[in-house]
Amino acid sequence: MIPSNDEIIRVNDLEKRFGPFVAVDKISFSVKKGEIFGFLGSNGSGKSTTIRMLCGIISPTSGQGVVAGHDIFRESEKIKQSIGYMSQRFSLYEDLNPYENLRFYLGVYSVPQPQWMERISWILDMTRLKDVSRRLTRELPPGWRQRLALGCALLHRPDILFLDEPTSGVDPITRRNFWRFIGELASEGITVFVTTHYMDEARHCGRIVMINEGRIVATGSPADIIRQSCPDKPDADLNDAFVTLMARRVC
Amino acid sequence: MNLRKILAITRKEVYHLIRDARSLYLAFAIPLLLILLFGYALSLDVDNIKTVVVDHDNTDLSRDFVRRLNASTYFSVTAHLPDSRTVTQYLDHSRATLAIIIPPKWTQTIRADREATIQVLLDGSDPNFAGITRGYITAFVDRYNQKSLIEFLNRQGMEKIRPPVEGRIRVWFNENLESRNFIIPGIIAIIIMIVGAMMTSLVIAREYENGTMETIRSLPVSGNEFMIGKAIPYFFIALTDVLVAVLMGQVLFGVVMKAGFLLLILASSIYILVALTLGLLISVVTKSQLVANQAAVLITYLPSLLLSNFVFPVVNMPKVLQLLTCVVPATYYIEILNGIYLKNMTLAQMWPNYLVLIGMFVFLVLLNMLFMKKEGF
Repeated sequence: MIPSNDEIIRVNDLEKRFGPFVAVDKISFSVKKGEIFGFLGSNGSGKSTTIRMLCGIISPTSGQGVVAGHDIFRESEKIKQSIGYMSQRFSLYEDLNPYENLRFYLGVYSVPQPQWMERISWILDMTRLKDVSRRLTRELPPGWRQRLALGCALLHRPDILFLDEPTSGVDPITRRNFWRFIGELASEGITVFVTTHYMDEARHCGRIVMINEGRIVATGSPADIIRQSCPDKPDADLNDAFVTLMARRVC
Repeated sequence: MNLRKILAITRKEVYHLIRDARSLYLAFAIPLLLILLFGYALSLDVDNIKTVVVDHDNTDLSRDFVRRLNASTYFSVTAHLPDSRTVTQYLDHSRATLAIIIPPKWTQTIRADREATIQVLLDGSDPNFAGITRGYITAFVDRYNQKSLIEFLNRQGMEKIRPPVEGRIRVWFNENLESRNFIIPGIIAIIIMIVGAMMTSLVIAREYENGTMETIRSLPVSGNEFMIGKAIPYFFIALTDVLVAVLMGQVLFGVVMKAGFLLLILASSIYILVALTLGLLISVVTKSQLVANQAAVLITYLPSLLLSNFVFPVVNMPKVLQLLTCVVPATYYIEILNGIYLKNMTLAQMWPNYLVLIGMFVFLVLLNMLFMKKEGF
């Protein structure tokens, strides 16, 4: 399978089973270079399983997939090198300070040493953490830790940024700033693949895939999805669409 | 395998270490404590046995007997008691472990060439100690008899009588039979297990508990790089502890190494690697610091203490346990250390033990790789 030129992620019939349980049921979709791609679904719908397959953390049961030009079955190491991943718990090392956390990431991504200082000050500026770079991460407020986690994922200049529920547990202002920042990243050409269940956030996405019980139930721009799922309600929003789509399959 | 990635993990691990007072305590304070405790407290030597005497005879001869007993380094006569009832009190309250009762008219009986007896009472509540004491007192009485006999015969005019057989005993390797010479190598083996296996058993479990394992999996780091990076700081800590233990053994206890220092470092390095891989394996399998710690005590520390020929002699154990001692790494390491410390042995004589340890290390590495693969590395 060869993805077309502007497709940076392409999966066909991707399936993941855990024993008899089908977590992801033969899904197919593609993501274009530089877009903000929303991957939406309720808890346990298969969102995280999919994102973990795309990041090379777990390997799929069957199907095909290419991420940043690398096969998800055979080249997970190369995929990991060309993506940044931030999980919902922004799992940082809390007994290390931001500076040391960043150094750790630079090391494991094999960034050449002469570039280290430049990269670190770039990220510290961008995340506005310069003043606290020597304070232990566990002492920082959640919003700041979230920025640091994002910085760690961007440090090696990845092609794709995977964000697994990046805004869970942070306040609305921080969330708004966060999305503004994601927009800036996309405009610089970085592809952003994001899962969330805050529908107001999903408006920021260029394209959305909705997944329920391991299957794709809708694809398209936010407006498309609203129109498809609630054709008879002109004032419907993404929340209504989500509720309709998730309910349809459960019954 | 990428050295830069390994060192990044090592550096991170060092930060964890220096910011966690508990692990520093485990790394350096516990070994020092163990050396001091074992070195001073765990003496397996039996001497100055507290002895009380009831001398009903009270003649020159009986007093001479008691004097000789007291002159021996093994016995120390702490009290002369008037009767047997007080002896019972002394033994009851552990104020003495050995009592000698010389009956009335003892000298008369001897002089009349009839068999004279003395009563020896032993506190058997510590069977090991009592057994050794019994050996000592039996030997003492035998020698006393021999001496009396020769004196008697000499007095009868038979000059220069010698006993027909005299055992000339020489102890090899540990000439003064000091248990310290044996204990120091044993403590080193225990310390390495504590520092190597118990500490590393926590390190991967900690990543699971903090949720950082998910991050590690998303990074371009292989399972081997991850394991090696994590093990490096603990390898050097354990090696430092070995050197400290050797030094303390020399300075505090006068236990001097006879064979090569390099042989010691080689054996210790291999044994440390065994301990580290064992700890990491426990960590990957259990994924919880609490369970890992319990498992490490059960799998690494206790067998090293109990089944390694260190405190309890393996030859006295039932066959099943004897077989079990064959899979305890400490058994082989302690044998090497005793060879180095006491017997001045060379690699040519000890290589089978080295080989077994290397074999164990390779086996554990393969097992680790298997489990890491199962975890998706």
